[in-house]
Amino acid sequence: MTQSTRDTVHLWIEEAAGSMGGQATERREALLELESTIYEKIDERTASGEAEEQAAHSVLQSLGDPRAMGHAFMPQRPLLRPELTRSFLLATWALFAVHFVLVIGATLAARDISLPPLRISPIEHPSVMEMFARALEVLLFDAGVMLALFVLRDRVGHRARISFTKRKSIGEPRHHFSNAAFLALVLIVANFLRDNLIAIYIKNGTGTLQIPLIGSGFTDNLVLFNIWVALAIVRECLYGRQAGNLRAARMLDIATRALGIFCLLRIVATQRLVDITGAKGLLGTNADTVAALLNTAFSLIALTTAAVIGVELVRRVFRLRD
Amino acid sequence: MSTPTLDKIGAELRRGIVQIAALSLLRERMHGYQLVKVLAAAGIETEEGTLYPLLRRLETQGLLTSQWDTAGARPRKYYLLSEDGKSALPVLESVWRGINRSVNSILATDLASVATETGQ
Repeated sequence: MTQSTRDTVHLWIEEAAGSMGGQATERREALLELESTIYEKIDERTASGEAEEQAAHSVLQSLGDPRAMGHAFMPQRPLLRPELTRSFLLATWALFAVHFVLVIGATLAARDISLPPLRISPIEHPSVMEMFARALEVLLFDAGVMLALFVLRDRVGHRARISFTKRKSIGEPRHHFSNAAFLALVLIVANFLRDNLIAIYIKNGTGTLQIPLIGSGFTDNLVLFNIWVALAIVRECLYGRQAGNLRAARMLDIATRALGIFCLLRIVATQRLVDITGAKGLLGTNADTVAALLNTAFSLIALTTAAVIGVELVRRVFRLRD
Repeated sequence: MSTPTLDKIGAELRRGIVQIAALSLLRERMHGYQLVKVLAAAGIETEEGTLYPLLRRLETQGLLTSQWDTAGARPRKYYLLSEDGKSALPVLESVWRGINRSVNSILATDLASVATETGQ
């Protein structure tokens, strides 16, 4: 076989390889199989009198677009599924907005804002270029964090649900079991991090000011949170088993949601979430106004969420009675 | 109806058939291109882009085993029905015969007489 024909085939194979997913060894094996077939087809055509280059051209044309062939052999699995892109972008922008506001706050106050284990430092010499560079740095960091969270959630906890959204249908058993695994991971991480999330520290001229992130009721709420997630794990396992009567799983679903509302209301009612912003340290005389606004916003979100879930619970209870 | 649409429906119909045909033929050891030719000779034209991924999937599902033969002029990957495949084949054949019977029966049915019988 001439070098020219080999090069033509090689180029085609390279292009197919570019759109293949999977492990490198699997890819090599698939490409070798494809290459072997191509050469065999060319041999057959040349044996019947066709010119080699023409035969190679015809064979490759009959196989179609190399990228489509490569994709058909081994589809590439994107890091982030397309249907998650919108949520990812929204979450990233939201995190970026909060993060950058904190950077601005730190710059205006000319001191670090410490949110253990994170520390937000001010922009040293504020200028347009410095602001732009810092914004870019913050955006990249936040996008990285969000990407890691989304990929973890997607891979470990398929359609994980500790949310209040309505369960529209019972999924495949493997999805429910992976949800249970994801929730178990959440439980472990939340308990592991609790010591680091108890307070925020703001450095000022006279030392470090400690502001309770969540007050004495935190331990109680963590216990409730643990029970809440544990119930959700059992619920997912029951859904996963899909053993005939799902009444127990549905009842547990309702119990989990009810406990969720209770947790949320209790946190809002007892923990004075407004203090976590450290508004008093940063905003001086305007702190009370900002604190009141934030408090109202938190309360409204909690009440709206509770109302929506309350309506859903009533509907579910009535459906069960049917 | 347009030709591309008909082609697409035809390809979808064939895809299901190729699966059982390939499993049945691979009671004998064959490489991918050989299988393409045997299927074509039997009247089932299959593209490599359809057959090779199918063979890979059947292998992952444990219905086929494969072995590389590097003794010849160029390396070839040979496929053979696995033990699981051997147990699955009669079941799939029975499913296929059932579907075949039902579809033939539907295609041969006189719809006017069915409407009269069911009172529609």
